[in-house]
Amino acid sequence: MTEYVPKSAGTVTKYIVVESPSVTPAELAIRAYEVSQGLIIKETCFGLAINGKEDEVNQLITQLRTLDPDHIFIKDRGFPPGDPRRCRANLGGARPGFHGIEYETTVLPYVSHGLEELRSRDAGDIPAPQNPLETKKLDVYTLKKLIEAQEP
Amino acid sequence: MTTPVRIAQISCGPEYSGVQQEINEAARAVNGEIFFPDIALKDIMRDFGEFGLDVRSPDLKLAIARAKALVDGRVDADAVFVATCFRCAEAAIVRNELRRYIHTHSRLPVVSYSFTERTTAGTLLTRMEALTTIARRRALLAREAQEGLTMGVDSGSSTTKAIVMKDNKIVGTGWQPTTEVLKSAEQVIGHALDEAGVRRDEIEATGTTGYGRFLVGKHIRADLVQEELTTNSKGAVYLADRQHGPATVIDIGGMDNKAISVQDGIPGTFTMGGICAGASGRFLEMTAKRLGVDITELGPLAMRGFSAHVPMNSYCIVFGTQSLVNALAAGSSREDVAAAACHSVAEQVFEQQLQEVDIKEPVIMVGGTSLIDGLVYAMGELLQTKIMVPKYSQYIGAVGSALLASGFIKDG
Amino acid sequence: MAKIFIYPATSLILSDLVARYGHTPLSSAIAVRERIQTAGIESVPLQITPEEPKKGLRWAAVEVPSGVRGRMALYGPMIEACDAAIVINDADLAFGCMGCARTNELIKYLIREKNVPRLDLNYPKNEEEGVRFVAAIKRFLAEMGGGE
Repeated sequence: MTEYVPKSAGTVTKYIVVESPSVTPAELAIRAYEVSQGLIIKETCFGLAINGKEDEVNQLITQLRTLDPDHIFIKDRGFPPGDPRRCRANLGGARPGFHGIEYETTVLPYVSHGLEELRSRDAGDIPAPQNPLETKKLDVYTLKKLIEAQEP
Repeated sequence: MTTPVRIAQISCGPEYSGVQQEINEAARAVNGEIFFPDIALKDIMRDFGEFGLDVRSPDLKLAIARAKALVDGRVDADAVFVATCFRCAEAAIVRNELRRYIHTHSRLPVVSYSFTERTTAGTLLTRMEALTTIARRRALLAREAQEGLTMGVDSGSSTTKAIVMKDNKIVGTGWQPTTEVLKSAEQVIGHALDEAGVRRDEIEATGTTGYGRFLVGKHIRADLVQEELTTNSKGAVYLADRQHGPATVIDIGGMDNKAISVQDGIPGTFTMGGICAGASGRFLEMTAKRLGVDITELGPLAMRGFSAHVPMNSYCIVFGTQSLVNALAAGSSREDVAAAACHSVAEQVFEQQLQEVDIKEPVIMVGGTSLIDGLVYAMGELLQTKIMVPKYSQYIGAVGSALLASGFIKDG
Repeated sequence: MAKIFIYPATSLILSDLVARYGHTPLSSAIAVRERIQTAGIESVPLQITPEEPKKGLRWAAVEVPSGVRGRMALYGPMIEACDAAIVINDADLAFGCMGCARTNELIKYLIREKNVPRLDLNYPKNEEEGVRFVAAIKRFLAEMGGGE
């Protein structure tokens, strides 16, 4: 059994994913470096990973979001950037969580569209989505109505 | 240091059970390197669909896609380790099907394992050693005939065995219960050499196997120190003269059991373990003792009995012994009790272990317990096949070692 | 700021929207970070040691596979701490920390049992669903006392 001494204690890491027609991950990185003030910034295929003290990371994120608020998405990450335990170069393949982000990036355009729309519309005026737990199958009465509504 | 053997890990759960570290360590100990096949989300969606096993757990979907990437040759590997949580039914189905799929559709050696949070690198070591040996030493394992004068020593948990071979023939044997590992080894070696009529310094190459292989190997400066899955497979097909094509090797040992699916003498998939002493040779020893017969007499006694007359399920050695005592007290015959004990051990191995390998004929039983014909008969009944027990089957590991050791004889 | 348990706990979308609308997302990353920043015995890659499945016994019995119990050691405390939850019900491709269907079933059940405000959704499949999805989350979080 080997003793474990953490290296990144007291810091946080956040992923910044950009799915934007106007800001590329590279541009986001350049902007981040400009205002980073000593934070660790690593470019990834989705965007950036930023590590440092929580307040400083949050400040940087707030600034970066302004570049394209509806197309920049942020989440926490457990590991600091480039940690060999999670790094594809060491594991041979991507860590499983990578595929989860891969999947959600396919949904991001719809979420971005929602964010854009809500700039001009009130959330209270928009109908609620179907609750997946209350999705019902077509009942016979509705089915009958549909059949009767058909032109002969 | 040679290049590490690249072992592709296909798994669900080890990181969350706290055992990934143990898997990595076991692989490193035998110069193996664990890696995860790299695929993309689109591969997962396509391959999971194509494979057609509609499981719910995303990590099992990932496992299926990774296995397909290996079989299709999109990712290179030398060997495959399939691991899922013990007691997960969904994962057990995937584990078994992937093991079978990889074994059938590729030449990659594969071992599957179900872990708990208690699984240690030590438990995994023999399996990893066999896996890396098969990947690394295909040339050595291709050997079909023994050459020169060689010796093999099998330092097992219950007994120690030695074999001296000369020009593809067994010329000396030694066998005795294991007490002190080195002392027992020295004694059986002495006996085998005497029987062969040769001196120690005339031996051209030696091999060791079994639990004490490292200790004995160091002591006698063995050329080959090899785990028993490999030596037993090799020894079994050699003695049974079934070196080509498929075979299944079953070894019910003193402490653990092995079931190995062999192709051309090379282990493909295997299980070892690890159930309870109730499903091992140990239980049969206890039965013989309780019935007041020598272990060598238990088999013939069992053959005269009828196992169905005595209810016995030796999942646990304590309960198994209890059933045995109860049956005798209730007036069951010694023959029936002996038969029931043999049936019970065979049934445990059948239910708990043989489900993990593909049984292909011929089925070869080896190890000391293969001499108990009541046990061989019971296993044959369960598998519905005639089981082969080759001559010298009790020396199997030592024979395999002596055979493989001849690959180390230096020219001239 | 309310603590919002998100499901899948690895979700980028939910993590972002919860934080964007002024609340704290409780996600896998927080639980993993806690472990990799705590000294102890080395256990790669997640610093989940064999002790964690034992801690998981609080939420799942000993006959439950170790991987479920180990994951519950991550999520159990967060479910207990949350003030509300947002659950995406068709998250079939969330791997790793969310890679075990049995754990996921238990997580959803425990959230339901806790009886906190809960928003059930599916991933949006088109732009119109995207608008409804974001609006529903915004409304739900506003009721929790937040604001952009």
